[in-house]
Amino acid sequence: MIKITELEKIYRTEDIETSALNKLSIEVKEGEFVAVMGPSGCGKSTLLNILGLLDDPDGGSFMFNGIEVAHFNERKRADLRKRNIGFVFQSFNLIDELTVFENVELPLIYLGVDSAERKKRVEVVLDKMQIMHRRNHFPQQLSGGQQQRVAVARAVVNNPKLILADEPTGNLDSSNGNEVMQLLTELNEQGTTIVMVTHSEHDARYSHRIIRMLDGQTVTENLLV
Amino acid sequence: MFKNNLKVAWRNLLKGKVFNLINIAGLSVAVACCILLFLTVDYEFSYDHFHQDLKDIYQVYTTENRSSGIEKNTSMPEPLAPALKAAYPAIKFVSRYGNGQAAVRYKDKQTNYGIKFIDPDFLQIFTFPLAKGNIKTALQDLHGLVITENVAHAVFNQENPVGKTLELNFNGELQNFTVSGVAKDFPDNSSLGFDMLMRFENFPNYEQKMDRWNAGNHSLFVRLQPGIDQASLEKQFIPFTSQHFTESINTIKRDGSIPDASGNVFTLNLLPFAQNHFAANFFGLEGNQVSKVYIIALMAIGIFILLIASINFINLNVARAFTRAREVGVRKTLGAGQWTLIIQFWTETVLVCLVALVAGLLISSLILPGFRTNFRSPVTLGLLLQPAHLSAFFTIFFLVTIVAGFYPAWLMLRYKTVQVLKGTVNTAKPGKVRNVLLVTQFTLSTLLIICTLITWQQMRYMQNKPLGYNRTEVISVPLGREMKGSKAMQLLRDKLQSRSEIVAISGSANNLGLGTDGSTSTHIVGFNYNGREIRTNWQRVDYDYLKTLDMKLLEGRVFSRSFSTDSNSIIINEQMAKQLGGKNLIGKFVTIYDGYPKMQVIGIIRDFNFRSLRDEIEPLSLNMENKSDISYAFIRVKPVNLLSSYDNLKKQWHQIFPNTEFNGSWLNENTERQYRSEKRLSNIFISGATIAILISCIGLLAMAMMTMVQRTKEVGIRKVLGSSVMQIVVLLSQDFIKLVLLASVLAFPVAWLIMNKWLQSFAYRIEISWWIFGLATMIALVIAVATVSFQAVKAALANPVKSLRSE
Repeated sequence: MIKITELEKIYRTEDIETSALNKLSIEVKEGEFVAVMGPSGCGKSTLLNILGLLDDPDGGSFMFNGIEVAHFNERKRADLRKRNIGFVFQSFNLIDELTVFENVELPLIYLGVDSAERKKRVEVVLDKMQIMHRRNHFPQQLSGGQQQRVAVARAVVNNPKLILADEPTGNLDSSNGNEVMQLLTELNEQGTTIVMVTHSEHDARYSHRIIRMLDGQTVTENLLV
Repeated sequence: MFKNNLKVAWRNLLKGKVFNLINIAGLSVAVACCILLFLTVDYEFSYDHFHQDLKDIYQVYTTENRSSGIEKNTSMPEPLAPALKAAYPAIKFVSRYGNGQAAVRYKDKQTNYGIKFIDPDFLQIFTFPLAKGNIKTALQDLHGLVITENVAHAVFNQENPVGKTLELNFNGELQNFTVSGVAKDFPDNSSLGFDMLMRFENFPNYEQKMDRWNAGNHSLFVRLQPGIDQASLEKQFIPFTSQHFTESINTIKRDGSIPDASGNVFTLNLLPFAQNHFAANFFGLEGNQVSKVYIIALMAIGIFILLIASINFINLNVARAFTRAREVGVRKTLGAGQWTLIIQFWTETVLVCLVALVAGLLISSLILPGFRTNFRSPVTLGLLLQPAHLSAFFTIFFLVTIVAGFYPAWLMLRYKTVQVLKGTVNTAKPGKVRNVLLVTQFTLSTLLIICTLITWQQMRYMQNKPLGYNRTEVISVPLGREMKGSKAMQLLRDKLQSRSEIVAISGSANNLGLGTDGSTSTHIVGFNYNGREIRTNWQRVDYDYLKTLDMKLLEGRVFSRSFSTDSNSIIINEQMAKQLGGKNLIGKFVTIYDGYPKMQVIGIIRDFNFRSLRDEIEPLSLNMENKSDISYAFIRVKPVNLLSSYDNLKKQWHQIFPNTEFNGSWLNENTERQYRSEKRLSNIFISGATIAILISCIGLLAMAMMTMVQRTKEVGIRKVLGSSVMQIVVLLSQDFIKLVLLASVLAFPVAWLIMNKWLQSFAYRIEISWWIFGLATMIALVIAVATVSFQAVKAALANPVKSLRSE
């Protein structure tokens, strides 16, 4: 599903150049659950941003479902993103002004799904995430675990092929963290490909494969399954 | 999608209450001001547009290209109208238009009304439809009278006025006139106004002047055949002018002239009536002319206020957009495209603007009564409902929302999704655009402060400048038309002169300043003296004129009852003396009118400002000729108990003239009344400047609040490192202060240019001094510092531990 080859990303300030990704090559197959680990500044978040088409690489190739997307313009990237990719962030990134229902509904609105269909799909996913009873609450009225469940619901509501999770349990206690990891595992079992950046060895063990990074390069790859 | 946008917009509106309140307050005040100002401007531009054939209506005037300058005169000789109509088929209708006043008696009721003496074509030139009667026949009869509905109601109440006879006294004797038509009341925005219309043949002294081509006494209007070109018709007038105005042309040539491009020194021209309301530099123009400067000032202030409020709106929206960076990032991540986000931001802007619009309409309806009084503006909010106004209104509204909504969205979209998502967009550093906008705001505000100070200074100068006569102890009273002025004068003298509070009594054909009757007139005569033409203001006065007005006699003597020849004597001012050669003038004779006795100079008085300070003092000859009558009495009282003296005078007046209203006013009120338009301009500047500064400060306050929040961490670190509160306040305020200073410097030259041009319209004016600019800068600076430093002190006093932890 994902094949990146010799990917480069360089951050430039006035007189310093920092190489965040240094000729990195990785492949992720459809249905895989991959964890990316490494110390702060090793480039794992940069990798995730490029995989999510939120950032563009400075060199190398990025094939998504067999199509070269490294140099897609913003419009094409936005289109590919909203149809294929779901995001789960460490800080949940829910929109405070929208209710639980409206937050989850948002990707469907951007996809142009009609109102009745949206309602049906959002209710299904909220039910699945067991937060249906909180549908009219605003994010600030929820616990961290509930907020992350809403974020996961939002990520999966449009049935993406790929979920990118950036430290999904980073802001949660262990019990809520485990619940979220369980959710991701279930999604993966239903066929969704997952790439997760994490510092937690415990969370990484939910994946099939762990890619360890240092200074923008892959150091080791451990197959867990 | 739209519903979603609206929902988010509404929630955001409720969420940022303080911020939005500031935004809406500034914008709604601006909306209210703009509505009132622009409606006033539009009203002024709508003057006379109700005449159906406006594009074909012109006023005839003469242009004299004298060596002393170009003179445009609208006062025409009586034989001109019939001669023009006979000579030029291009002229479809022509009408003379003379001014008069009449005491009107019906049964036992008597009131004064304004009469216009016109030719029958008048009602076919202008659109003054008749509610009763026929425009073609109403004035066929020399003793026919057309009255307005207003007068009809006041005089006849419910009776049908047509066919009724009224007794009118407008030239010293009662005459009967029969009402032949009732004109519908005309709109306020009309340059021409009347209570009654009658045939021009009734105009006082009509017969003496009907063949004289060198004596103007009325205005002349024409309606051309459709499609006639004004310029080519004016060219055709040239031989006609040479034939009929030979005497005037020869006089101008003899006294020195600068011919125009075609070599003419005297031409007959046409002024489009559509331009009448804004026409300047014409002598004797009808209507209430408004200076274009005034209208431009109104428009400029309206635009300034709208601009300042829009700048606030943009600046605050940008600042606010940055606080919503993460939300934008999330939306982009979830697949929102550029346009989706732009439309979302725009929807929010439209919502805020709509609230401001409604609030603005409410505010404008609340301040409308005060506005109408202070600015003498007849506008109503109902005018807004006219289709042209509605479309202009919504176009401006739409443009503001586009600029204010799109710009912040565009700014946010320039950043990469990852940046906005992480919140790494730098919000602390003020953008160049923000600075430019702040400077623009304060430049406009400082400009208005300077304009306010200068108009105020000029107003004070005009109010306080000695005019050469006593303004504070003299009451001027229009004598009305009940009897001849000189007779009324005599009755007043008999009744008043023995009273202890009275110092002196006199009278004149012309008022000083603008009296409560709102009437001004000037009589200028030209005559030959030592081989050249002398022109002088010609003013009939009564005995004791100098004593009553406390004027200084420089040479000779005053008019005296002991000299029976004084009806053939003149007292001249210094300017007139200069015209006559300056020296040894007492006892000299001048011939004013051919065939009449010569007039002897008996005295020279010090120059005094008998007109407003807009005009230089011109040559003046005071006389006691019987040809013109006294119209105003001047009564000088002792400088104690002025109020009771006024009340006593009023009582005495009613005893002498029980049927005539007492319209007395102090001369200083009259002179101030002359500067109503300047006073109005000054009021507008003051209000405009206050509102502009208020809105600018609202913006500055919000910007300061935002900046302080953004720099909380920096302040915390500086305090931990040992910075004093004062140092932090200075640090946080200095950026704003620099901008305000820069704005002041930019405003100086513009303000100087504008106000210098405005001051040129006054013959007597102040010099613009440097301290005005200094003071304006100080005012702007003090206001800005007060606004910003309060926030800066608050930020500086905050606990650094808290601010660092919060980061």
